[in-house]
Amino acid sequence: MDQVDFNAPHSMGTTIIGVTYNGGVVLGADSRTSTGVYVANRASDKITKLTDNVYVCRSGSAADSQVVSDYVRYFLHQHTIQLGQPATVKVAANLVRLLAYNNKNNLQTGLIVGGWDKYEGGQIYGVPLGGTIVQQPFAIGGSGSSYLYGFFDQAWKEGMTQDEAEELVKKAVSLAIARDGASGGVVRTVIINSEGVTRNFYPGDQLPIWHDELESHNSLLDILGAPEPMNI
Amino acid sequence: MSRGSGGGYDRHITIFSPEGRLFQVEYAFKAVKAAGITSIGVRGKDSVCVVTQKKVPDKLLDQTSVTHLFPITKYLGLLATGMTADARTLVQQARNEAAEFRHKYGYEMPVDVLAKWIADKSQVYTQHAYMRPLGVVAMVLGIDDENGPQLYKCDPAGHYFGHKATSAGSKDQEAINFLEKKMKNDPSFTYDETVQTAISALQSVLQEDFKATEIEVGVVQNDKPEFRVLTTEEIDEHLTAISERD
Repeated sequence: MDQVDFNAPHSMGTTIIGVTYNGGVVLGADSRTSTGVYVANRASDKITKLTDNVYVCRSGSAADSQVVSDYVRYFLHQHTIQLGQPATVKVAANLVRLLAYNNKNNLQTGLIVGGWDKYEGGQIYGVPLGGTIVQQPFAIGGSGSSYLYGFFDQAWKEGMTQDEAEELVKKAVSLAIARDGASGGVVRTVIINSEGVTRNFYPGDQLPIWHDELESHNSLLDILGAPEPMNI
Repeated sequence: MSRGSGGGYDRHITIFSPEGRLFQVEYAFKAVKAAGITSIGVRGKDSVCVVTQKKVPDKLLDQTSVTHLFPITKYLGLLATGMTADARTLVQQARNEAAEFRHKYGYEMPVDVLAKWIADKSQVYTQHAYMRPLGVVAMVLGIDDENGPQLYKCDPAGHYFGHKATSAGSKDQEAINFLEKKMKNDPSFTYDETVQTAISALQSVLQEDFKATEIEVGVVQNDKPEFRVLTTEEIDEHLTAISERD
């Protein structure tokens, strides 16, 4: 029986994050799509709309995650028309996981579904590789997420404000980008709450830099803290 | 070797009579009229409006569940005049078809493509002995990317045409006569004029003044292309404007 070696190391080339806050959710992702060591797209948008109020962060195979999103968008559209009101986040997440589970032998994609509905407010659902569905206060995924487990253990707290949540997501993605070769580019965030959806874009110069990423200086004297010449 | 009357079956299934008529199709048209509702559709310069009567025959009925106006997609609406059960199955199939189109081809199903699909389906029923035609006249409305506001009407015979204004149901001929006069000089109605022409056509033909709860109104506009069912407040504003105008 021919089996793919599931234990072989495979990079999923992404960092994706979804975080709930008091009032909604913030989704975040890097923008690197890699084919081996070649960066095929350095400004990709990995946060995809499923409905007006539900988005999904995609990781793993770009093709697989796109196709799953397309099918779910199609099903949700019909569901919305027949229901006569916006679909709930739970329904969207469930459709995603049914596709992920039932096609597990042919798909390689980890997804984070996040959104807002009037019944349960902001919700985040993780749908990792095998097709499990788990609702969480926050979820991380992709190859870059390995470097964030400890960070979130320390930095995550319940009941953050929208700004705190977005700062947390931005910081986390930029930390992962610093350490994961398969993550990079810009940081994109999507905030979803009762008022609607806001998309944000943070290029490198708007992101924090971490210890060994030196800031450029005009002179080494600035770093060394030496006084100006002639001022001794 | 004359065929005679065809054994009497030409009235029961959709085969030709000796005079070349399809009785079942003609009976389907009668079924549309028998429902006792009249509907009107008007296309303006940058909008389309459809209006129908909201008859709630039983006081115990929940009137929010009585409707002939259905969204098919965010951008397409369908007004079904005639047998309500047939209307619902048509709407269900149209919704599936439009959603599949969007998924398969990557863009929204245009109004005329949906109208053609409905008409083609209806034509099939006129050729199969084991299926009867649907007792529904469907008016499809939407804003087309290239051609602007569109109004199409599909009938049990499998015809479909685009209309500047049209009507369906029990008093459709009177309504069409009224609309022909209104549209005689090829006017370019604004959104308000479109809605008010449609509503006042219905009022004139049925010879009664409506309350906002007695009619259903659906619209699409160039600057708001999502199909929308007007609220009772919005209908009231138009009714007031009409009565002040007269």
